Amino acid sequence: MTGLDILVLTATLFSVFTALSVAVLSLIWIERKLLGRLQRRLGPTRTGPFGLLQPVADGIKLLVKEDLVPSWADKIIFWTAPLLVIVPSFMIWVTIPISRNLVVENLDLGLFVIVALLVLSILGLVLAGWGSANKYGAIGSLRAAAQLVSYEVPLVLVVISVTVISGSMDLRVISAIQMPLDIAQPILDEAHSSFSNFNHVGLPLIFIFPLGLFIFLLAGLAEVGRTPFDIYFAESEIVGGPFVEYSGAHWSVFFLAEYMNTFAVAALAGLLFLGGWYGPILPEWTWFLIKTYLFVVIIFWIRGTFPRLRIDQLMAFGWKVLMPLSLMAVIIAAIYRFYNWPEWSLTLMSLSGLIMVGLAFYLRYTRPVLRLAEKYGHRSRGARNVI
Amino acid sequence: MVMYDDVPMSDSSGEFDMLLNMGPQHPSTHGVFRMLLKIDGEVVTDAEPHIGYLHRGSEKLSEFEQYHQVITLMDRLDYLSNFNNEWVYCRAVEKLIGVIVPERAEYIRVILGELNRIASHLLFIGTFGLDIGAMTPVMFAFRARERIQSLFESVSGARMMHNYFHIGGLKEDLPEDFSVNISRLIPRLRQDMEETDRLLSFNELFVSRTKGVGVMSKDMAINYGWTGPGLRACGVKYDVRKAETYSVYDRFDFEIPTTLDGDCWDRYFVRVMEIYESLSIVEQALEQMQEGPVNAMGRRLVRPAKNDVYVKAENPRGEIGIYLVSDGSDKPYRLKVRPPSFCNLSALKELITDSYIADAVVILGSLDIVLGEVDR
Amino acid sequence: MLSSIKGMFVTFKSTFKRPVTDEYPNKRKPVEPRFMGFPGLTWDYKVIEPYCTACMVCIRNCPTQCMTASMKDNVLHKEEKSHRKKIVDHFEINLNRCILCGICVEVCNFDAIVMSHEHEKSVHERNGDRVDLIGLLDIGKRFQRDTKWIPPSELKKKPIVNDKNLTTIIAPLDTDGV
Repeated sequence: MTGLDILVLTATLFSVFTALSVAVLSLIWIERKLLGRLQRRLGPTRTGPFGLLQPVADGIKLLVKEDLVPSWADKIIFWTAPLLVIVPSFMIWVTIPISRNLVVENLDLGLFVIVALLVLSILGLVLAGWGSANKYGAIGSLRAAAQLVSYEVPLVLVVISVTVISGSMDLRVISAIQMPLDIAQPILDEAHSSFSNFNHVGLPLIFIFPLGLFIFLLAGLAEVGRTPFDIYFAESEIVGGPFVEYSGAHWSVFFLAEYMNTFAVAALAGLLFLGGWYGPILPEWTWFLIKTYLFVVIIFWIRGTFPRLRIDQLMAFGWKVLMPLSLMAVIIAAIYRFYNWPEWSLTLMSLSGLIMVGLAFYLRYTRPVLRLAEKYGHRSRGARNVI
Repeated sequence: MVMYDDVPMSDSSGEFDMLLNMGPQHPSTHGVFRMLLKIDGEVVTDAEPHIGYLHRGSEKLSEFEQYHQVITLMDRLDYLSNFNNEWVYCRAVEKLIGVIVPERAEYIRVILGELNRIASHLLFIGTFGLDIGAMTPVMFAFRARERIQSLFESVSGARMMHNYFHIGGLKEDLPEDFSVNISRLIPRLRQDMEETDRLLSFNELFVSRTKGVGVMSKDMAINYGWTGPGLRACGVKYDVRKAETYSVYDRFDFEIPTTLDGDCWDRYFVRVMEIYESLSIVEQALEQMQEGPVNAMGRRLVRPAKNDVYVKAENPRGEIGIYLVSDGSDKPYRLKVRPPSFCNLSALKELITDSYIADAVVILGSLDIVLGEVDR
Repeated sequence: MLSSIKGMFVTFKSTFKRPVTDEYPNKRKPVEPRFMGFPGLTWDYKVIEPYCTACMVCIRNCPTQCMTASMKDNVLHKEEKSHRKKIVDHFEINLNRCILCGICVEVCNFDAIVMSHEHEKSVHERNGDRVDLIGLLDIGKRFQRDTKWIPPSELKKKPIVNDKNLTTIIAPLDTDGV
């Protein structure tokens, strides 16, 4: 590593950092505007045209606020917890390819590294709640630990199933196998793998393996802590959970980390299931952004519509529904690869998995609603939603 | 027995439950209300409500105001149902002095009281959804509430603290554009209500959060002195408007919605059904209303004879009672309010014990208390 | 499943409806004619003096006792220009204490006090909301000009008791009072 290499690497990391910050700022703006429009109100309007400088105003406000450290708090833990949360969120972006050549350092085990880093931020959250010397913080951090650890399992299993289907953990390869062969071949040629039998599919994985997208989105939502899985920092119940004693610049770190994780989950969903940066006319990185922001908008839309699940319902959903489903996903992916069945068989098996999920949801959640609608549906217009 | 942290009640193994203070400053305790919870993991084992943070001495203050000035105090008791509070107090004084309110005034009182009931229930729906985590129905419900409050502003001059019902009738007649405004309001209210309803009432996650949570049996509810939508959700068909009819309620055709299970969803849904019933009462009253005078009293100063009277009415939160004692002077001797939220709140400990913390917030929200009424 | 998905469609549709926000202070909702803002004293343009004679009826009837006043002999009455023998000398309302109930307007015998349409009177000084006679007359004059105010006694509006159709009916009260 010559001095020039180090300089280039530093410049690359710096630009990645800047681009990420701009992306997070845009995410904050989109969330507030979109939630406002969902609720029939304007979002921010006065800070800059269309409220575009609102995230900047938020950042300035957070930075100039007083950083209160409670007197009983464990200072070392209090100060290191935010770092443990945000540093892994940055490190994920080292391996995510934005287009064919725009990636800082493409790793052969890219997916593995990403999932491992996501797990690291759980520790930061738990320490944040513990170091706050606040009972709400303690409760919140325990809830966070339980929820995040239990939703790692389906996430990891889905990642494994995608690896099985594609034959590699390299993110560029996984995106490449979803593109037409003539574009994908150069990427596949220069990729390393001990198996060297990539499975070129040619279609985005959403058509072949929709079960994977479903599980990945839900597990990703739970990992990031977005509604309907945001009980551990639910404002109306435990007033912020692990973050309750953090204010000012400390809290802005958690805020940033949450949005970066959301962006990372959306970007991964785009890469793994929608074909990454492939698209007709526009340049490649534009397609990457379009697909990522599509998932971002879906995530925010879900936030504006649904109430949140209670912690025991959440855990039940994670262990009783998502985990068997993700095991099934691994098995059907393996069957498909091992016996070399055609792609539509995987689609059929995925759809059967989704039907099973729908059935489970129906039995547990929808049947009481149907019973209620039978008894009282004629008294309320809301029953028109229930068939 | 007050719970404090330095006196832990430990069992023989030396373990004790954690004391969590959902203090007066909390985003979802619906006002300045303090709840001390003893929790064991996620399960609440004991609960102790502390009230009094909003005590303003309304009952004592009313001993120094003349009868027509006390109406301003009554507005601010249950600050979400102002017209209903003014109404029950005016009925109490009218009963003391024996004046009969003209018919047009009665009809207008019914219309405004029922619209206020709708507004109060809309706020409940919005904030209940917010407690559960749904942040969109609040905006829709408050949009509908804005329409009602604009109508109130055109009638009485103020969106909330009206001082419009006076002893013997009303302050002045309705404005000329009232019939136009209200004929435009009612279909829009139906639309807004439908939107909020479709978003929340039969949503699977909402039902799973609230069904089976905080179940109150019929006998326990009657024992605790519950009234209002909470009681009707347990299956008891008791409504003061039908049981001891007052004003012109006997001329309207409306039902009393009840459900059978007595849990949070039922308490929520009874209020949704009541909104639709109130809309139909308003429409019937508009049809039946005639022209005429609106106040039967020629003077404002009232000096009732020495007597006492108890009057009750159906507020959005339950049965409110006013016990008024007069000693012949122009100020009340004693004014005692029986607030519905206070009696409903007495069952909190029973409901919250052995439920999760998250459910504690939901149950408290479903009781629909207003601290202005609890503390007076 | 379907109820939740249909809920998502409800929010999707409401994204395209017009937002209901009015951007205050660029766009203010006009207040209704009967809106009760802060009180103001009216000015008699024919006689060039206030309507108010400081008779203290409003001060006695105010639930929060937010007003003080004093009266003086009316110079214009001695000059035969006005029918008011006494006129207001000092008048002060503490707007922080006023609860905007409108009782003062109801009891005034001289149409001297009105509830104006002004409701944005926050100031930066600590006791800056105590308004004296000049300020109150300003509020009143603005109200008179903006609403083309005619004194109610000149409108000869219907008295609250219509003596032709209804006499006050006094019914005997039961002795137990319930």
